Amino acid sequence: MVTVAAIDDSSLQLTFVLFLTVVVITLFTALLTAPQRDEISEFYLGNRAMSPLRNGLAMCGDYLSAATLLGSTGLVALTGYDGLMYLGGTTVAWMMVLLLIAEPLHRTGKFTLGDTIALRLPRGQRPVRLALSVCILAIATLYLVAQLVGGVALLTQFTGVPSATTRTLCVAVIGTFVILYASLGGMPGATVIQIIKAVMLVVGVLFTAGWVLHHYDWNPNALLTAAADRSGNGPQFLEPGLRYGGTVSNKLDFLSLELAIVLGLAALPHVLMRLLAPRRSGVLRSSVLWAIGLVGAVCFGAGILGLGATALVGKDTIVGTDRTGNASVLLLAHELGGSLLTALLTCLAYLTLLAVAVGLTLAAASSIAHDLYSEVIRKGRASETEELTVARLSGAVIGVLGILLALVAWGANTATLAFLAFAMAASSILPTIIYTLFWRRFSAKGALLSLYGGLACSVLLVLFSPVVSSTAGSMYPDADFAWFPLQNPGIVSIPAGFFLGWLGTVLDKGRPEDSSAHEEFEVRMLVGADD
Amino acid sequence: MPEFPPRREDTPTFPLPHIEHTPPSRISDHPEFHSLRRAQRRFGIRATILSVGGFLLYVLLSFFAPVVMNQPLFGRLTIGLALGLGQFAIMGVTAWCYVRHMRTRVDPLAHGLRVRLHEDESRRSRPAAPQSDAGQLFQQGARGFRAW
Repeated sequence: MVTVAAIDDSSLQLTFVLFLTVVVITLFTALLTAPQRDEISEFYLGNRAMSPLRNGLAMCGDYLSAATLLGSTGLVALTGYDGLMYLGGTTVAWMMVLLLIAEPLHRTGKFTLGDTIALRLPRGQRPVRLALSVCILAIATLYLVAQLVGGVALLTQFTGVPSATTRTLCVAVIGTFVILYASLGGMPGATVIQIIKAVMLVVGVLFTAGWVLHHYDWNPNALLTAAADRSGNGPQFLEPGLRYGGTVSNKLDFLSLELAIVLGLAALPHVLMRLLAPRRSGVLRSSVLWAIGLVGAVCFGAGILGLGATALVGKDTIVGTDRTGNASVLLLAHELGGSLLTALLTCLAYLTLLAVAVGLTLAAASSIAHDLYSEVIRKGRASETEELTVARLSGAVIGVLGILLALVAWGANTATLAFLAFAMAASSILPTIIYTLFWRRFSAKGALLSLYGGLACSVLLVLFSPVVSSTAGSMYPDADFAWFPLQNPGIVSIPAGFFLGWLGTVLDKGRPEDSSAHEEFEVRMLVGADD
Repeated sequence: MPEFPPRREDTPTFPLPHIEHTPPSRISDHPEFHSLRRAQRRFGIRATILSVGGFLLYVLLSFFAPVVMNQPLFGRLTIGLALGLGQFAIMGVTAWCYVRHMRTRVDPLAHGLRVRLHEDESRRSRPAAPQSDAGQLFQQGARGFRAW
């Protein structure tokens, strides 16, 4: 971990004031716009008549986490070309959502993904809903822990390794805000913070990127030359292979990571929930287009920030402050705009992780209340008030669980945890979505096998990977039971999830679902019920 | 109150005039439905393979053909970096093609089928339909400006 305090005290105080101001203002707005009646549709979906730009901003806010703002720019600063490919994957991921998933899912969906699957597999819906909420809970909790751990890592940039009290305080304060937003505000509250965060993120990143380019007289070639010169690697900085080169297993590891990023987005529970929010599918299409544009712009700007950090600050200082490169954006901000810009970007980073954490908590709480409690435990007989109470309570429980796990795993690497969550989503939930939408024969047994099997496969592979044991950066550096060589399980577990879904369906000898259910589903998916 | 005996809706005493126009009784048997499904699915799968597969191919090329990717094009810009920027262009073009395809090919078909579906439904339950239409019109009229 880091030993040097990177940035001076005054910007920490400024950050603190700024962050609290933004959070208090948004919290008030969120509470004012919170659901006033006991209506579950308002709690789950928020304002359904929002314009495409606002929806797109909210999607962008849900998707871009602190791992992108700090981790990916750090990767660009340290490894150049490899880091830039990583940012490319972050943007390309949206293409699959736009082209295959968004509109069919929106036309067949109601509140959660479980509703879509229940429409398609009406007889076997209860076990599938249970499996789905188990998967969503696992993925959302892991991703939530990644965000909270990111908060501690960010604090480390200012104070050096924080004491146990500071750490606990930091995680507990952020966690409490998350619970307040998610449980009291519901989807309308989450939307407020997502939009504010997305606007600040887009403006902040593009403004700083413009500043970097202005420093080099808007000449990209000069920026690339300066970055290569100060990277300590010369021209190799702008060539592939600095981080993931060399052995075949390194290259496969990167491919695995890219697969998880590109395919995982389409299965992240909070993004899926956001897709159901607009009422009309035309609005949804424009919203996703806005989201792609905004995410592309932020990723493009983040690439420039990473290159600028190497060019202006130099690799030695970045590595000296934080081995993983997470400090690069803040160091760049300090170099360009002094403590004011540093404070602004730090505040932005905190807001980013807070907003993503709220989205995740809300998605997990909805899945528990709607799929698990209302449909599985109460078998569809729960009243709306009851379901809403369960949703609010489970939001609080998930928040507390996230806080406790984050306190245990505070030294873990945010980006690694986040991309494990992506890999888990892509190997358990994505096969079920794709098969439900596009495969006529898909059965409930196939869904169960791909959900549980894909989840188990990815979790087991992680347990036996270098993330957990055998290397200096892993959770148990002294033990060695890592027979799986890759950091990210995606390249094995994603095909495994798809294979298990196919296998379960083929082996299903029970009575098939009525063909009328599939027909009705297909009519709904293509023709839709709205407009 | 008029005291007519309750009339059963599903036993028309005269032949309905437009029942012969739609021989396939279910919408999913309709040829237009099949072409809608084909139009949407084929384009979606092809475009996904082009954009996502293209990107993964670029990642593979970067690692397994570094000699090609490191050819300088222009100053510090190598073929690899240019292809990386090209990914953004491909995404933009794909998204534009998708919107155009949906607007010209898919949406009109879906709209036509939707109208037919509503006709079928309103034939089954006649009195419910006009009221909900009126409610929607009122809602749209109440929102006179377009928010950002």
